[in-house]
Amino acid sequence: MSLRPGSFAWLAAHDLRLSFLRMRSMFGARRPAAILAILAAILAVFHLLAWPAAAWLARAGAASGPDALYYPALACAAVFVLPWLVAQAMTNSTRALYSRGDLDLLLASPVSPRAVLSARALAMAVESLGSAGMFLFPIADMNAVISGRHWLALYPALAASALFATGLGLAVTTGLFTVLGPKRTRLASQILATFIASAFVLGLQLVNVLPEGMRADLMEAVNNPAPGSLFDRNGPLWLPVRAATGDGASLAAWIAAALAVFTVSAVGLGPRFMASAVRSAGAAGASAPRRAGGREHSFRAGAGAALRRKEWRLLRRDPFLASQLLLQVIYTLPVSVVLWRSQGPSGSLALAMSPCIIVIASQISASLTWLAVSSEDAPDFLASAPVTRSQIERRKLQAVFAPLALLLAAPCAALAMAEPAMGAITILFALGAAASTALLNMWRPHPGRRSDVMRRHQQSKMVGLMEHMLSLCWAVAIVLAILESWAAVVPIGLAALLLWFNRPPRVARPVLRESLA
Amino acid sequence: MPSLPALKLTGLTKTFGAATAVDHLDLDVRAGEFYALLGPNGAGKTTTLRMAAGLLPADAGGIEIFGVDARRAPIEAKRITAWLPDEPMLYDKLNPLEYLEFVAGLWNVDPSEAQARARGLCDVLDLWKHRHERCEGFSRGMKQKVALAGALIHNPKLLMLDEPLTGLDAAVARQVKNLLSERVRAGASIILTTHILEVAERLADRIGIIQRGRLIAEGTLAQLREKAGGGNSSLEDVFLQLTQSAELAA
Repeated sequence: MSLRPGSFAWLAAHDLRLSFLRMRSMFGARRPAAILAILAAILAVFHLLAWPAAAWLARAGAASGPDALYYPALACAAVFVLPWLVAQAMTNSTRALYSRGDLDLLLASPVSPRAVLSARALAMAVESLGSAGMFLFPIADMNAVISGRHWLALYPALAASALFATGLGLAVTTGLFTVLGPKRTRLASQILATFIASAFVLGLQLVNVLPEGMRADLMEAVNNPAPGSLFDRNGPLWLPVRAATGDGASLAAWIAAALAVFTVSAVGLGPRFMASAVRSAGAAGASAPRRAGGREHSFRAGAGAALRRKEWRLLRRDPFLASQLLLQVIYTLPVSVVLWRSQGPSGSLALAMSPCIIVIASQISASLTWLAVSSEDAPDFLASAPVTRSQIERRKLQAVFAPLALLLAAPCAALAMAEPAMGAITILFALGAAASTALLNMWRPHPGRRSDVMRRHQQSKMVGLMEHMLSLCWAVAIVLAILESWAAVVPIGLAALLLWFNRPPRVARPVLRESLA
Repeated sequence: MPSLPALKLTGLTKTFGAATAVDHLDLDVRAGEFYALLGPNGAGKTTTLRMAAGLLPADAGGIEIFGVDARRAPIEAKRITAWLPDEPMLYDKLNPLEYLEFVAGLWNVDPSEAQARARGLCDVLDLWKHRHERCEGFSRGMKQKVALAGALIHNPKLLMLDEPLTGLDAAVARQVKNLLSERVRAGASIILTTHILEVAERLADRIGIIQRGRLIAEGTLAQLREKAGGGNSSLEDVFLQLTQSAELAA
């Protein structure tokens, strides 16, 4: 059956095809059969990994009492999945607003803007469903085997959640555009999306750092909720949880609510969204003048200084990038508190702080090196300059290490004052960790745009894996070193081995990434 | 003693897989000359210039820039050259002055001298009033002017320009053409590729036509007309006739 050109279904098929092609491009130039085999293998592994989670949920469901974890676990899952889906929708909506792509073509065509937006929104919802479902559906399948078929309700419940979140994300982005205007919306939306997505991680850590008494009260409130309270499982806030666990009426209500939100948002906001897209195109041509009264610029000398200053200026002037990098720090900090609390009153400060300092050093160093090396805006220009590749790399590394040193100076100094020897060891290990992930990113460059710094591993999952393994090796090594165990040399040796395997080939490498199209 | 050629390519060759992009190309650009390199799409113009600029390794052949072997001493060669592609290579978050400071730093220009030159270039190219604005908000023409200022701030002896006028409006194109002519009058050498034949016709001292990676004709406009069969035909007619003849002969 052929679809009527210009209709919603036709546009939706077009957008879904583009989504499919994007997903397929992640697998490189492999044949469809190979891609299917890889996908099947991934799904099989995820199902295997989901088995313990499903078994745990089955046991938790059977348990009762004030310490029962079944409902807190379900609440946590809902609190994680929904904001994550909303954040994805906001990111995708912002991208749709600002990337010209085929939007100019569609807007210039005699097609209804409502149909265009509805189709695009549906594709966004399907993409979100795919990325969340990849992790959640195996758990549902395993639970269906262990606890009963009602767990398969997670499929329609998650689809409804994706529609609901997409509608909400679209509305928030359009609202931001109306309030903040085209110039500020992109940044505001991206930062907001990042913080919404991190809400769960931060919230979970917050629960971990709460005093014992407060945590017990919270568990009691979730397990034995007062009618009408936030945790009342018959209340509207628990509707998605009830739907996902197979309550038929709740599932129907959740699907209806999600469809309503999606339809109102996609259809109702269609013309406004498209008008915003037109305004964003206009804003792209407008300049961002510096504030009046700024002093005149005086030039300074030297290629090295020029390279370092350029890197620092680019970093300083990208608040979105800064927020992304700082989030890595925020994610890690509460772990310190948890490690501190877990040791009891006579715990070691070094044991709590050092692994986190190491992880932050390695991760931020990796991100900054990728920014400096792989997302260079003018690689050809640098290649045409009378400076050698090694000079460029050396200066860029210096530029990377300076902000990292600034970031870690205070915690390292605090640790050195409290436990001088441990402070010195931590600084040494942090340098090693930072250098190893920096070298990895320098030796295995993967071109990308600066805004994709947190998605850079999508291009090379192997480099991402190596980066995390290096980080882990150094973190384990510092723990062993603090415990005065010579076994610390093992993870350090492993890190060195990983780097050796990733050393650059002897043949000449391209200086920097090719220009992005 | 005759002066050294600004650019001397001998037997320059580059292949991509089975395709030969540049095929034993011999080409001389004289010192103080404005040389236009023309050719149909895919003829090897950009590949030739990218090899000369040190952006692409040649498979074989020689590249000399004012007597400096650019393959053996690339840094020395780059010190006296500038490369300007059709897509301006800028940093969106920098303003024009910061960009020019960066370029001057890479070429090790004395800061006070660089500052004075930046002021002059910004004035000539009508960029001074935008000097504190970030490049991300600039139009294509503005970006190309900033990139051109960057290419000129270290006073290169040889400028290699790949389609520098593509997408520019008439006013900006006029500014760029005037500036390039001034540079040649001041003693610089320029090799430029373009599809806008009027530019080659008006500005170039000599024109080279490249096809399938080989130089099929070279000379002044009058010499090319003669080669194409005489008459008073336009460069467009001459170009089409020569490339079509070469295509038939191939």
